[in-house]
Amino acid sequence: MLMIRQAWRNIFRNIRRTVLTCTLIASSLVVIILVDSLINSMSGLMVKGITETIEGEAQVYHSGFRDQYDPELYIKNPKSIISYLESDKEVKAFAPRIIVPAMIGSSYNSVGVMLYGIDAEKESNTSRLKSALIEGNYLSGSDRELILGMVIAEKLEVTIGDRIVITSSEINTNQMVQELFRVSGIVRFGPKELDEGFAFINLSIAQRMFNIGEGIHQIAIRFNNPELANSPDLALYKTLPSDTLEAKGWLALQPGLGAMLEMTGFSTLIMGAVLFILASLGVVNSMFMSIYERTYELAVSKAIGTRPSGIAILVLLEGLFLALLSCIFGIIITLILGNYLQDNGLPLGVMEFSGVAFPDSLPIKLTSYQLVNFPFYVVILTLVAAIYPAIFAARIVPAQAVQKAL
Amino acid sequence: MSKVIEIEKLTRKYGSGVGEVVAINEISLNIEYGEFTAIIGPSGSGKSTLLNLIGGLDKSDSGCVLLAGKDIAKMSGSQMSDFRRDRIGFIFQAYNLIPVLSATENIEYIMLLQGIPSVKRKERVQEMLFLVGLEGLGHRRPSELSGGQQQRVAVARAMASKPEIILADEPTANLDSKTGMALLDMMRQLNEDQGVTFVFSTHDEMIMKRARRLIHLRDGLVALDERNSNATP
Repeated sequence: MLMIRQAWRNIFRNIRRTVLTCTLIASSLVVIILVDSLINSMSGLMVKGITETIEGEAQVYHSGFRDQYDPELYIKNPKSIISYLESDKEVKAFAPRIIVPAMIGSSYNSVGVMLYGIDAEKESNTSRLKSALIEGNYLSGSDRELILGMVIAEKLEVTIGDRIVITSSEINTNQMVQELFRVSGIVRFGPKELDEGFAFINLSIAQRMFNIGEGIHQIAIRFNNPELANSPDLALYKTLPSDTLEAKGWLALQPGLGAMLEMTGFSTLIMGAVLFILASLGVVNSMFMSIYERTYELAVSKAIGTRPSGIAILVLLEGLFLALLSCIFGIIITLILGNYLQDNGLPLGVMEFSGVAFPDSLPIKLTSYQLVNFPFYVVILTLVAAIYPAIFAARIVPAQAVQKAL
Repeated sequence: MSKVIEIEKLTRKYGSGVGEVVAINEISLNIEYGEFTAIIGPSGSGKSTLLNLIGGLDKSDSGCVLLAGKDIAKMSGSQMSDFRRDRIGFIFQAYNLIPVLSATENIEYIMLLQGIPSVKRKERVQEMLFLVGLEGLGHRRPSELSGGQQQRVAVARAMASKPEIILADEPTANLDSKTGMALLDMMRQLNEDQGVTFVFSTHDEMIMKRARRLIHLRDGLVALDERNSNATP
């Protein structure tokens, strides 16, 4: 107990040095927690952007369809799959789709798009299509309705009510089909590739137009618990796949995104390591200065019978107190900044990354994991950093130290 | 009387080759229990080196030191620490105390290392403070005590572990003559009342006058070892 008191008082012998050292450690802690929060928020937003915009958290599709988006690879009889999805308690919503490349033309221009035939009601529960509407009306089920991306509408120089001709080929016969539609709505998702690449019509007319009966190409799925989307234990992934059917979560559908998330996690680790190494060097430096100042005192302590291990423990306790003080200081600053950034967001400006548009200011959220684990790592690393000075102090030779000091 | 310190052909050299300095040159001497001895000599004669060797703070190049019959050269670092803690008290010239601990805590420190229970420690601390005339000042930190009072606390700390020997390296060097004299009188009293062996390294006249035995060192050799029949009572 006396040694604990001694260590505690020792760190206040040079208040300026202690404050500077604590500030260094605390700043590293604050930066790493905030960067981790920012990266988590960005990753979360990217995942949400990908899964909620169009893709869904999982998809069921004909084997091989996603490789080339070959229209001939469609699910001929989706009834049993739809019944299964309706009965699966994990599934929150799903949307069957036909996806066919097509040429759409106005009086002025024509562009190539990926034409989606959708069930309007189911789609509104699954993707952001309805909420992305910036002009006109959402699909109501009428045959001639068409929703265009904002960029396509600009290229075609059309607005609500204008006529559009869609040209494609029948899926089974490859015969050309042409249908007339009227623009009922214009959407803006944010990322340019979505706003210039997609057009949406009702599922029933798409099935008729492409002559595939009740067939569909894809079912996008949302879960009650989105975190389960990539769990291989999910019943859906075990039940539905067959020789002609695949069912995959978003991580498997977007391996690039998965790799990027892994990379961001790794870069946080690298940055954290660099920050903590720098902070540790600061700790080592500060502790050595403290030991050099107290060489005589430590020598006397050894002379009167303190074992080398006792001296080492004293120095380690000082390191522990420095770390604890720094963590308290760092956590307070983090909470203040974190609360502000949670309410006001971090101003990033207009930013788009990997097909996801970020809001002007990105709100970040602190987690209890960050507030417990990161300070714990700081304490451990500070103690590790204190080992070298502790060993040095333990090896002080009393006779030499006393002689030098005098 | 039996011997508490036995020194046999003790040698300590510093440096090597042309720059080699023989600080202690094959010294042999014995000190008995209850002696009040001063090792005296000019600067560089080897006084402090001899004291450090006796206390196990430094290692000799040859020869041996037996403390209470035990060869300290054969002890490991931790064994030597424990031996010093339990059987030797140290008083240095200055800055003896741990500045962040109060006088009471400084005295208690060594007993804590010995594993003495709290109640006994507190009793002993009060006893020591009384013995060195510092009752009521136990709560003060070293910076709040005068040089003489600090040295008294150092004596109290050295005595607290009930050692057989107290080694004091120039204990009065930083004190004025009046304070130094009072400190010496106190140590003589402790020597007489409690039978603790005191060995000083000094060139302070006051200590020389009070020591009952004077060991004169010159160039690392014992030039004269005499009983001081004129020691101040």
